[in-house]
Amino acid sequence: MTLTARSTGPLLEIRGIKTHFFTQDGVVKAVDDVTFEIGHGQTLGVVGESGCGKSITSLSVMRLIERPGRIVAGEILLNGENLLEKSDADMRDIRGDQVSMIFQEPMTSLNPVFTCGDQIAEAVQQHTAVSRREAWDRGVEMLRVVGISDAKRRASEHPHQLSGGMRQRVMIAMALSTDPDLLIADEPTTALDVTIQAQILEVMRELREKNRMAIMLITHDLGVVAEMADEVVVMYAGKVVERSDVKTVFGSPHHPYTQGLLLSIPRLDERRERLQVIKGTVPSPLHLPEGCLFKRRCPHRMKVCDTPPPYQEVGPSHVSRCWLTPAGEAPDVGADATGPEAEQAAEALTVAAR
Amino acid sequence: MSDAAMAPSDGVVEGEQMSGGQTTEQRAAARGGSAAAPLLEVDNLVKHFEIRGGLLGISKLGAVRAVDGVSFSVTEGETLGLVGESGCGKTTLGKVILRLLPPTAGSVNFEGKSLFDLSSRELKAARRDIQVVFQDPYASLNPRMSVGEIVGEGLYVHGMTNKRERESAVRDLLKRVGLNQQHIHRYPHEFSGGQRQRIGIARALALRPRFIVCDEPVSALDVSIQSQVLNLLSDLQDEFQLTYLFIAHNLAVVKHLSTRVGVMYLGKLVELSDADELYQAPAHPYTKALLSAIPVPDPTVRRERIVLKGDLPSPANPPSGCRFHTRCPMAQEICKVEEPPLRDVGGGHMSACHFAEEVTPLGSE
Ligand SMILES: Nc1ncnc2c1ncn2[C@@H]1O[C@H](COP(=O)(O)OP(=O)(O)OP(=O)(O)O)[C@@H](O)[C@H]1O
Ligand SMILES: Nc1ncnc2c1ncn2[C@@H]1O[C@H](COP(=O)(O)OP(=O)(O)O)[C@@H](O)[C@H]1O
Ligand code: SF4
Ligand code: SF4
Ligand SMILES: [Mg+2]
Ligand SMILES: [Mg+2]
Repeated sequence: MTLTARSTGPLLEIRGIKTHFFTQDGVVKAVDDVTFEIGHGQTLGVVGESGCGKSITSLSVMRLIERPGRIVAGEILLNGENLLEKSDADMRDIRGDQVSMIFQEPMTSLNPVFTCGDQIAEAVQQHTAVSRREAWDRGVEMLRVVGISDAKRRASEHPHQLSGGMRQRVMIAMALSTDPDLLIADEPTTALDVTIQAQILEVMRELREKNRMAIMLITHDLGVVAEMADEVVVMYAGKVVERSDVKTVFGSPHHPYTQGLLLSIPRLDERRERLQVIKGTVPSPLHLPEGCLFKRRCPHRMKVCDTPPPYQEVGPSHVSRCWLTPAGEAPDVGADATGPEAEQAAEALTVAAR
Repeated sequence: MSDAAMAPSDGVVEGEQMSGGQTTEQRAAARGGSAAAPLLEVDNLVKHFEIRGGLLGISKLGAVRAVDGVSFSVTEGETLGLVGESGCGKTTLGKVILRLLPPTAGSVNFEGKSLFDLSSRELKAARRDIQVVFQDPYASLNPRMSVGEIVGEGLYVHGMTNKRERESAVRDLLKRVGLNQQHIHRYPHEFSGGQRQRIGIARALALRPRFIVCDEPVSALDVSIQSQVLNLLSDLQDEFQLTYLFIAHNLAVVKHLSTRVGVMYLGKLVELSDADELYQAPAHPYTKALLSAIPVPDPTVRRERIVLKGDLPSPANPPSGCRFHTRCPMAQEICKVEEPPLRDVGGGHMSACHFAEEVTPLGSE
């Protein structure tokens, strides 16, 4: 948390990470060459359907990947320092101190044996030299901050005595008690009712403003992303397929998958007789197609799509992993291009990883 | 409660139409004749779950009032959506209608006849007519049965004992719900979530039902698959003239499919209205808060946001008066003591709020 590092460059830079699982049935490329960054105080939304690699991306940042999984390539820079070169002891300090994470199911990450107050106090003491008493008081204070009424009493209760929404708030309180630079929130509200979701999102917004905390918000709910995020990364089958600021992704999406997603959700503010559908299903991670991973479901599929598409700039700070030109037309190399010709064209169009 | 005559309170009985031995054609004809009468009528339905405790677990400690006096009717061919937060009683209500749970009080009439006192023959017919699609496509299919057995089971029970005939019927159904007919001998684990939900729908359709309770049928599915299944449900509704009770917590999904929508809170129906009207002009503060809480998938829109304070109270110990008063931004003194009845606030729009007329439409900031 050095101040000099804070003021220059992005807070988190993920460069070309690949996290693969070496299973008995073959290699699952859960995260395959993912690159993005998050600036100080920025909120990045990571969207995509289940199994596309959102959680594994976040666990990779926390260095919490377990066998048979392994980060096989790439760099994860936090304030300019590569987390993949840190010792386990250093990582423990970084987790919670600089980066905190909240998970979808709060019960799996709260210890049922200890009271909520004890668990927050424990987290505080691990990262700051304070007395138990001070740590406990800070815990109660955090419970109040996240909107738990009667915080003193709740602090002495066990997780199972709380509702789902309260547990998620305890998780957030714990994650924020150490004032992290980056909060990784993996589907933080998916298991909650909309009214409780609204409360949690409001708490996150307030704390983001107050502490200038960056958030990596993982969700499949496009509404939540539209509301919370500055930048959006769309993932599909382990890869980033589109990335831009939130208005561009929702207003002029380039990738056919992003377009399909936006058109397939029912909306309150429109009446659609029929929903548009994305045909087919996500491919099995063990049987990915050659070339574009989305091609079997894509309405614009061309012959050239049998070659992996370029990750090209399609607008200012707007990248898309697709053969279509920024205007949505067939690429210059031709819709039927194959082999080395297509490969070279893809390489030429691909933006340098940054 | 078997073959006995119906209690007088059960209302008009159209006996001929309920007989189980009719052919599909006869039943279809009967359907055409009674288009305006409600197909399903739920009257003051109550379902409490007793909480037992003490040393032997026999002393009664109270009751979870899961469904606490709910009335509505569903017209043939329409979709009635039912929304509300987790634990408000949606599934319980559906299960009582399906006769998977006995009611504590109240009645459910199907074509004017009480579902709770049918003869065994009538019961069998009713079981054909009323089917269900559950939320969890993983848990609701028997893993040891093949798709053919799962979808064909009901046909067998209802007399289609010829194996070849049954298999051909099942193939038809698989095709109809968009599954590969070749997969008839496969097992549930060989299918994706969306495909399993299609199997569940094929099973529900097998007996040519008239009424299907869909309990969160797309909640476990990814968005791209969700839209496929929603379109399938509406195509099937047109093709087979189905009537749906569509339960979900996602209001956008419910609005998309429903003709009318009911909103539940702590075991009570608090609002019931035409779907478009409910969204444009909610007449209950809870509905309005629910609507405002839904994130809009458009970053250029900033809508009025009503953040409700606190958690849902326990249905074992609901607040006095209006059950919503502990969280309601419009609550007054009277709300704590007097329970507001569900009343018509204009044109059949029902609301259970003392101040329904003062609820303003959801504004933009
Ligand atoms: N068998 C049971 N015994 C005791 N309580 C029950 C039982 N089944 C349901 N309940 C309680 O009844 C209430 C209503 O439950 P129900 O499952 O109908 O809710 P729901 O509206 O379908 O919720 P969700 O959106 O989570 O599916 C809840 O408080 C629940 O805990
Ligand atoms: N322990 C594991 N072993 C093998 N494959 C895994 C493991 N954990 C995750 N995967 C696979 O990695 C891919 C990405 O998973 P995940 O990041 O959890 O997706 P999501 O986007 O839903 O969070 C999926 O195909 C998943 O099946
Ligand atoms: S590369 Fe081809 S198949 Fe892939 S998304 Fe673009 S147009 Fe569709
Ligand atoms: S009756 Fe009172 S507490 Fe209940 S919804 Fe209306 S205003 Fe709110
Ligand atoms: Mg996940
Ligand atoms: Mg339910």
